[in-house]
Amino acid sequence: MALVARIAAQDARALGELYDAYGRVVFGVGFRIAGSPEAAEEVAQDVFQAVWRQARSYRAERGSVRTWLLAIARNAAIDWGRTHGRRSNREYSLDAAPGLVAEVQVEERVIASLRAERIRVAVRMLPTEQRDVVALAFWGGLSQTEIAARAGIPLGTVKSRIRLGMEKLRERLGPGGEE
Amino acid sequence: MTDHPSEDLAAYAIGALDRAERAAVDAHLPTCAACRADLEALGDVAWSLAESASLDPPARTRGRLLDGVRSSRSREEPPLVALWRALTRPVPIAIPVALAVAVAFALVGLREARTDADAYARAVAGVADGRVVALAPTSDGTARGALVVPSSGSPYLILQLPAAPAGKTWEAWVIRGERPLAAGITGERSGLVTLVLSQALVPGDVVAVTLEEAGGVAVPRGQPVLLGKT
Ligand SMILES: [Zn+2]
Repeated sequence: MALVARIAAQDARALGELYDAYGRVVFGVGFRIAGSPEAAEEVAQDVFQAVWRQARSYRAERGSVRTWLLAIARNAAIDWGRTHGRRSNREYSLDAAPGLVAEVQVEERVIASLRAERIRVAVRMLPTEQRDVVALAFWGGLSQTEIAARAGIPLGTVKSRIRLGMEKLRERLGPGGEE
Repeated sequence: MTDHPSEDLAAYAIGALDRAERAAVDAHLPTCAACRADLEALGDVAWSLAESASLDPPARTRGRLLDGVRSSRSREEPPLVALWRALTRPVPIAIPVALAVAVAFALVGLREARTDADAYARAVAGVADGRVVALAPTSDGTARGALVVPSSGSPYLILQLPAAPAGKTWEAWVIRGERPLAAGITGERSGLVTLVLSQALVPGDVVAVTLEEAGGVAVPRGQPVLLGKT
C-alpha cells in the first residue's frame, strides 16, 4: 500500500516514514521562508498535520507526492511569515547556505549534502537577474506581478526571467544534466 | 488543444502565477499529458531548490508530531464526531430484555419485515444470561440491533440489517470518549447476524454500527445507523 494511502487510513507509522524521508526538506523550507528554527519547527508540525488530514485528497495523477508536499510546505511557511509579519523585512536569496550544519555524517547524509551542493552550484551559475526573481517567487512567496511591482521591472521581463532561469536549472539538474 | 500554457508552467511550478493564470493552468492540465509531463519536470526543479535548503529539525519534532496525530486521531473527523456527540446523549442506557424486545417490535413498520423481525425478537428474547442493551436506530431505516453483555464471555451484537451494498460492509464500533475503535464487520452476511465485538467494553462506551468499505476501515466514515450506550 502506498505511503500516502496508509496515511489516509490514519496509520501514524506511515506518517513517521514520510517524515523520515522528507522532514529535513520541509524543515529547511520552513527555515528559509519563515526565518527561524522555532518558526521552522512550527511550520513542519503544521505541514505534516495537514498531510495527515488531507492525505485522502491526494491524487497521484495530478502530480508526485513531493510536489504535493512542497506546495503544502511553501504555503504553510509563507502563511506563517504573513501572520507573523516577517515577510516584508526579509531578503530572499537562492544561494545563501543554511546557517546550521548537520553534525551526523552517515553516508546518506553525505550524498544528500553533495546533491544540495550540486543544486547550489547550478543556482549560482544563473545570471543574477534570473536567480533573484526565482528566489523572490520560490522563497519569498511573491507572484510575478508582485515581483514586477516591487522590483520596478515590466511583468513580461519577470516572466521571461523566471522561465529562462527554471529552464536552465532543469537542464543542469535533470537526468541529462551534468553531474 | 493548441493553446498550451507552456510559458506559464515554470512560474506555476514555483507558485509565482497570479490567481487567474493559475486557474487557467489548472483547467488545462487534466486535458493535456504533454503539459503535465513538462510540469512534472519543472516540479522536480522546484523540489531540488527545496532540497538544497535541507536542514535537520530538532530531534523532538518527530515525536511531537506523532504524539499529536495519535492523540487527535478521532478529532480528525469533525463532522462524524460532532454527529456522534450529538447522538450519544439521548440513547437508552441499559434496558431489560422485555423492553428490548418491545423496541424491536416497535421498529417493525413493514409487513414483509415481520418474519425477520420475529427471528430478531426471538434471538433477543432467547438471550439466556447477561444484560441486553437495545441499540437505537438513528434514522427511519430498517436496521435494528441489541448489544448483549453476558455475565461471562465477550459482548456481542444481535443485528438485523439490510444487505450491505456491493463493496460495503456493516462495521461495529466501540466509541470510547471521542475515539471510535473498530469492533468487527458483518462482511457479506445479512439478515439476522450475531457479531462478537473484538473490543472489550468499559462502562460509558458507546456501541455503533456504520456502513463502510468492504473489509472494514480503521476510522469510521459512514454515519451510524445504530447507537447504544453501555
Ligand atoms: Zn498542454
